[in-house]
Amino acid sequence: MGFWERIANIDRRWIYLLVALSVTLPMIIAMKFPIGLTPEAKQLFNAIDALPDSSAVMLTFDYYPSTIAETEPMSVAALRHMFSKDMHVLTVSNIPLGGPSIAERVTRAVAAEFGKEYGIDYVNLGYRANYVAVMHGLASSIESIFMSDNTGTPLRELPMMQNIKNYDDLDFIYVVADNATVDYWISIVNAQYDIRVGSGVTAVVAPKMYAFVESGQMTGLLGGMKGAAEYEKLLGKKGTATRGMDSQSLVHLLVIFFVIVGNIGYFASRKKEKK
Amino acid sequence: MVISFFFDNEQIFGQKAEEFVLQWVTIVGGFALVLGVFSIVRVNARAVAMKSRDWPFKLMTVVSVFAMAVPAMLPVSKSSNGGKVLFSIIPESWGSLFGTGPNSIYDWLFNYLDSPMMETMFAMLAFFIASAAYRAFRARSADATLLLLTALLVMLWRVPMGEAFLRLFGDSVPDYINTFIMNGFNVAVQRGIIIGAALGAASMSLRIMLGIERTYMGKG
Repeated sequence: MGFWERIANIDRRWIYLLVALSVTLPMIIAMKFPIGLTPEAKQLFNAIDALPDSSAVMLTFDYYPSTIAETEPMSVAALRHMFSKDMHVLTVSNIPLGGPSIAERVTRAVAAEFGKEYGIDYVNLGYRANYVAVMHGLASSIESIFMSDNTGTPLRELPMMQNIKNYDDLDFIYVVADNATVDYWISIVNAQYDIRVGSGVTAVVAPKMYAFVESGQMTGLLGGMKGAAEYEKLLGKKGTATRGMDSQSLVHLLVIFFVIVGNIGYFASRKKEKK
Repeated sequence: MVISFFFDNEQIFGQKAEEFVLQWVTIVGGFALVLGVFSIVRVNARAVAMKSRDWPFKLMTVVSVFAMAVPAMLPVSKSSNGGKVLFSIIPESWGSLFGTGPNSIYDWLFNYLDSPMMETMFAMLAFFIASAAYRAFRARSADATLLLLTALLVMLWRVPMGEAFLRLFGDSVPDYINTFIMNGFNVAVQRGIIIGAALGAASMSLRIMLGIERTYMGKG
């Protein structure tokens, strides 16, 4: 067996070991490469930044725990930006598994940094089944769909909700999602109720969203952990996404290296077969 | 919902008609979840009762469903539904353990068991993708080569270290990738897919409404 054949048939455990090292080493030794900004991330940041202080915004937690590494830093950065401008934040989730709990945990933690109070500065609506109906229903009356918040407190008892009755009372919807709900925020809420929607999505979902950004239906886009790191850079406060960039950089380069070596091995063994 | 898109419902059906229908739809959606829970419990409980292959795992599934669901559904205070009955048996201070709020049993199970397990499963993809990229991502044809080169460029562009490498060939190279690949070729293809899928969904909806498509009812 020649060198390239041996390389092509390398034990996959070596690959796993290299991936593990690429993920963990940057956590010990920081590399600090500069994070470039995309126009889409700047557009989303500027849209939130341009809103008047004390605006009412909706932040969605439409993601499962499995994609937390990519999506949670987006939610944290968005909340920091919103609370720094004293905005009233209404959170909602269209994911039954975890969405409301993640919203509860993340929002309370960031609110504590800014001294914000539940019911006055932010409210977590929680989850209701059938997101298409929920998105339509919120247009006429939030209380018709969510009679109480995530912990069971009636909305009419929460001071913040006295001024927020439907989409007309919201200035922006910031969708953080890892699935198709973001399509419906565009096709139902933006298209039919004319409210601006921006989004932060996983890297897998992001390519599809470029079409909506270019058509003007979506105001800004964050794609994957890099998008979250861009938002953190714009905000001037480093978070987990910025720290995760070194690991992601090394793993991407490792995968590229594997693809190149794999192809060299493939062509070398094919040439040998032809001979 | 189709009618609400084309007509002014408030004028035709009265102010509360749309709200009523949408509430009804969310309630039906809730029952669909209950049906799902019933189904998973029935299938797994039967497997446990018959001690079929891997039955301990199926038992864990059933136990997990109830461990998460039951504390989440219990009343949190005397004023909640059923609260008076429950808190006549146990102290009311235990109420904070129930429901889905912070520090409840549900919240603890979610944050310290469910969430880490799901994250771990997803994180393992990194290992499999690296291994698959090594073995399967081959430049076998012109199309595959084009795809491979594009993928490598986007992978470099999406990380700071790769971006720094691309800037060695010119400061604007990362911007070109964003402009020409993501906002150019990608958008063109995505639009085709989105419009195609929308037309497909519209025609399928019409087939269902006209009774031509009945496979969802188990009929051909």
